[in-house]
Amino acid sequence: MPQAKIVLKNCGIIDPKDINTYRTKDGFKALDKARGMTAAGVINEIKTSGLRGRGGAGFPCGVKWEGARNSPGDEKYVICNADEGEVGTFKDRYIIQNDPFSLVEGLAIAGYTVGARQGYIYLRAEYSYLLGLLRGAIDQAQEAGYLDGFNIAIRLGAGAYICGEESALMESIEGKRGESRYRPPFPTVAGLWQKPTTINNVETLMNVAQIVLNGGGWYAQMGTERSKGTKVFSVSGDVARPGVYEMVLGSPLRELVEGLAGAKDIKMIQIGGATGRIIPYDMIDTPLAFESYLGAGAITVYNKSRDVLDIVGRTMEFLAEESCGKCTPCRQGMEWMVEVLGRFHRGEGLARDIGYMEVLADTMALSSLCGLGQAAPFAVVDTLKYFRSDYEKGISGK
Amino acid sequence: MSKKDATKKTFDNILLTLEETQEKVGYLPAEFMVELADSLDVPVSDVYGVASFYSFLATRPPGRNVIRICKSLPCHLKDGQTIIDTIEKEIGVKPGRTTPDGRFSFELTNCIGLCDGAPAMLINHNVHVDLTPGKIASILDKYK
Amino acid sequence: MGDITLTMNGAAISGREGMTILEVARENGIDIPTLCYLKELTPIGACRLCVVEVEGSRMLVGSCHTPIAPGMVIQTHSPKVLEVRRVLIELMMASHPDSCIVCEAANCCELRMRATDLEVGLPRFRTRLRYFPLEDENSNIIRDMSKCILCRRCVTACYNTEGKKMFSLAYRGFESKVIYDLDKPVGSDETCRDCDTCISLCPTGALRQPIKFGQRKKGPVLYVKG
Ligand SMILES: Cc1cc2nc3c(=O)[nH]c(=O)nc-3n(C[C@H](O)[C@H](O)[C@H](O)COP(=O)(O)O)c2cc1C
Ligand code: SF4
Ligand code: FES
Ligand code: FES
Repeated sequence: MPQAKIVLKNCGIIDPKDINTYRTKDGFKALDKARGMTAAGVINEIKTSGLRGRGGAGFPCGVKWEGARNSPGDEKYVICNADEGEVGTFKDRYIIQNDPFSLVEGLAIAGYTVGARQGYIYLRAEYSYLLGLLRGAIDQAQEAGYLDGFNIAIRLGAGAYICGEESALMESIEGKRGESRYRPPFPTVAGLWQKPTTINNVETLMNVAQIVLNGGGWYAQMGTERSKGTKVFSVSGDVARPGVYEMVLGSPLRELVEGLAGAKDIKMIQIGGATGRIIPYDMIDTPLAFESYLGAGAITVYNKSRDVLDIVGRTMEFLAEESCGKCTPCRQGMEWMVEVLGRFHRGEGLARDIGYMEVLADTMALSSLCGLGQAAPFAVVDTLKYFRSDYEKGISGK
Repeated sequence: MSKKDATKKTFDNILLTLEETQEKVGYLPAEFMVELADSLDVPVSDVYGVASFYSFLATRPPGRNVIRICKSLPCHLKDGQTIIDTIEKEIGVKPGRTTPDGRFSFELTNCIGLCDGAPAMLINHNVHVDLTPGKIASILDKYK
Repeated sequence: MGDITLTMNGAAISGREGMTILEVARENGIDIPTLCYLKELTPIGACRLCVVEVEGSRMLVGSCHTPIAPGMVIQTHSPKVLEVRRVLIELMMASHPDSCIVCEAANCCELRMRATDLEVGLPRFRTRLRYFPLEDENSNIIRDMSKCILCRRCVTACYNTEGKKMFSLAYRGFESKVIYDLDKPVGSDETCRDCDTCISLCPTGALRQPIKFGQRKKGPVLYVKG
């Protein structure tokens, strides 16, 4: 029961280069159907489905679309976030490689619903080899007349994880430094070029056509109270079978990690990559759902041979390198975290710094400008909770 | 109270222009950044500010081939360091450097979304996954 | 006359549509510390010093850029807010040189004033210092970017007030820097006008006027108490 294919239903089945193979799998039927409905009707189906954002924040998709739809203005935008920079995440790459058409269809439905004539797909520079495939899918859809009145442009990133953050992404599309903006105003009111904008993760948009075709009620049957449908997980690290797995939300983590991916001797699991949460092995029966923690669905498994301080240190190094540097807590706080964790790792830690880490983690979480700084201390906070003795061993003289 | 808006004046896409130039020329020469700034009527510091923000944009000429090997955790767990060391030995320069003959630039990068094929790297726009020390020489051989 | 009512530190106050939390607070005599904020200009939201607690929000909220809404319940000086502000000041000082005693700005340093106001003790979060050579060739401005806390006032002010743009942000993360040109020192031939705008706004000693022969040092502006 837990494995199901909604998002990945066409992957490996259709030819990602050929729109005709997609057509035979109900391709673009949902777009036709949506265009026969009112925007409010589409929004209603999405709301009924309970679909929440798959890019990390889990915001209800229907509410977001409705917000942009109802914002005044003729010029609106829809954006697909294909920046996928989170450590250990590769599902969006897999999706684009195998089924770029569903994505194009999902974005076109978003465009119709929101009232946008222009859509953007922001693709990370590291995925430049997917450009041809993605362009091909857009062009074929265009030629076949599916995108009438709707234009999709691809924008390539240039190597910055922070540009996956929605406001930084919009700055980047505008051609600027990818620095986060403060909110409000929210993108649905003043987003790209200060116009109402929706931004959705690749996987979120992959669900849209299915929901429109089969109805929100059908979708809402799957999953838990607050996590409907399926989620695609990227499993990596100490597992026998790393890869992409789609599970019904609410499935036990154990089934994914031990059952499907074949992990053994697990010490801990990082859920959601560098900005994600770390849990020890004895919590492996946690359900995979927004109620616990999902992030963008990166599952990185660490076995008993791994050094907690090394892992947390590298996680912090990543975030320090990728911080945009605009706000004080994230820019300065990350640097201190990296330096201090380095000292603990070398056995030169100071006992008092453990307390200071907790103080700093609080400030970063409470006052950072965007999700990067706010979530950055999770790895430290969680390992201080579950693996405190590892830190104590890093104190100088112990 | 009147609020002047610092963001009103939109430069017609600095980043896009920089990306196009880098794709053509391989990097962003200073003269080009000055020219771009002039044509957009912005100070050159703004252009440099964008160029220096993004890790894929280079303000100095890179080698003919750019190796970007992943150093993030999932690759690290699969012995990524050994691969990094192997490449270093093979081409004779440390990460962050370009070989004297200009054949390779060697960079460490954060996760490139190929963790299911860890350890992984990109050379130019090509993907190389499931690396082992034994594979490196023959892969590098393809890039002249 | 106000058309939006809210609660600030337990008292009912009112403000007009479009005002920020900070503006309403100041109008009502409540002093929320700020660093990157410049009156009349679009808020920057970078320093985070102005954060306040708003009921119903998990995070603290930047008061300089958040508009008021009816029924908001705000705490501007709760223990939680004060502790966060203290840590923020410590973080700004984390990579700032210890040269206050010989710094031109010492007695009129806004950073120091804020630190004193918030009773910041010994810095807990020292990091490596950011070292940049002194830029002292221009006759109108001396820049010591080692002391810069990246508040961006100079960048915004030069553009908005003087219609020029001498400076921009470059690099990212901890390496971020306010640069001139292609990250060159401001040299003797540069077109900086003698307007003093950025110098008078810089909250630290990072920007200052060269002392010309025969000229007295700026009079004492004793910000720092005690
Ligand atoms: C530091 C940071 C990085 C992010 N990176 C991505 C990303 O690579 N892809 C993505 O879809 N969302 C990313 N997000 C989440 C986006 O800000 C945004 O919530 C999401 O794109 C909204 O789409 P959704 O509602 O469909 O999830 C990131 C957020 C943060 C704070
Ligand atoms: S030089 Fe001064 S005004 Fe400019 S950003 Fe730095 S601290 Fe702020
Ligand atoms: S960790 Fe190396 S590709 Fe993701
Ligand atoms: S004064 Fe509000 S963020 Fe700096």
